[in-house]
Amino acid sequence: MSKKDFSTALSSGPTPSAVLLHLADAQLSLRGRLGYVALLLVALMMTGVIGSLWLTEPALPMRTQVGFAVMIAIGLSWVTFALWVLTHRQVLLAPHRIVAGRMAVTFTALFLMGALAVGYQTGGAAAYAAAAVGVVMLVGAVVILMGAHRRFARLMQRRETLERELGRTGK
Amino acid sequence: MIEANDTGSRAREDEWLVVRCQLGERPAFEELIQRWYGPLWTYVRRLTGEDEAAKDITQDVWLRVLRGIGRLREGSKLRPWLFGIARRTSMDWLRARYAAAVLSDVDVTGIAAEDAPLDLEEELRAMQGELARLPVTEREVLTLFYLQELSLDEVADLLGIPAGTVKSRLFRARQLLRRELESKGRQV
Repeated sequence: MSKKDFSTALSSGPTPSAVLLHLADAQLSLRGRLGYVALLLVALMMTGVIGSLWLTEPALPMRTQVGFAVMIAIGLSWVTFALWVLTHRQVLLAPHRIVAGRMAVTFTALFLMGALAVGYQTGGAAAYAAAAVGVVMLVGAVVILMGAHRRFARLMQRRETLERELGRTGK
Repeated sequence: MIEANDTGSRAREDEWLVVRCQLGERPAFEELIQRWYGPLWTYVRRLTGEDEAAKDITQDVWLRVLRGIGRLREGSKLRPWLFGIARRTSMDWLRARYAAAVLSDVDVTGIAAEDAPLDLEEELRAMQGELARLPVTEREVLTLFYLQELSLDEVADLLGIPAGTVKSRLFRARQLLRRELESKGRQV
């Protein structure tokens, strides 16, 4: 008897439930993922602003410094949480990464412009420090976006190659 | 040669499916689930021996698959990857349940070392029950191999053992099955 006959006789498993197909839909949902991307970006920016204030304001009272430290810890916790969700629970697929990258570039560019505007108007060192943080974040966002585009293009190219090899070009 | 071509084509089909999933295509995810739900359930069912547990574990397996497929680097290794997740999840469940070895009461000592062909066609139905009585290691390798979803090398890769060990476990599993069937008066 062939291996295939044996397999057919032994592998009469059930069909997937509607719950599972619903799970797949949830895993493909863009909205939930982008919520966590937004949370990540906002938490990063908040942490950047508070860090800039802390570093540039002279002679802060102890209780203010403690307050800043607590707020930075909270911000970093949210960053960690959002990163964990995006890498373990609601993993970003190739097209999601592009959208997330665009969001990151937009958010960080706005943050940078805002910090520069405040710095220009007030001349405060904290605003310029925040702008420096903004530059770093913007560069990181651009790198992430470029990486997302490269990955998407690589996958599309691989898909076309496989479809050609498998004779599925008409699909 | 034909088998090698089949394997290559199968690997490309798998990779094609994975790439489409990584591109976020909904029909590809549905295809993935429809194609592999049954084989994964069957594998888990044979490891755990319980319908209800298999259902719950398979659901958990699929959650892990859906969350992890975006990071799968080699799409051509979809099969060992899927069964690897199913195996780890099932073993976690077995460990939690028994907290010890879960070998059945089949005595595996004293089995002849020489290979012998075994005609299983007439005994498939009877084997459904006997398969569940095999020790986990033999039951697992027999299920993986005869589900036709994995080659010898893929089974070896998944279990982290040499292909020769897979062969010997297959041999031993067949011997055990034969002995069990014979002990029940079936001619094999």
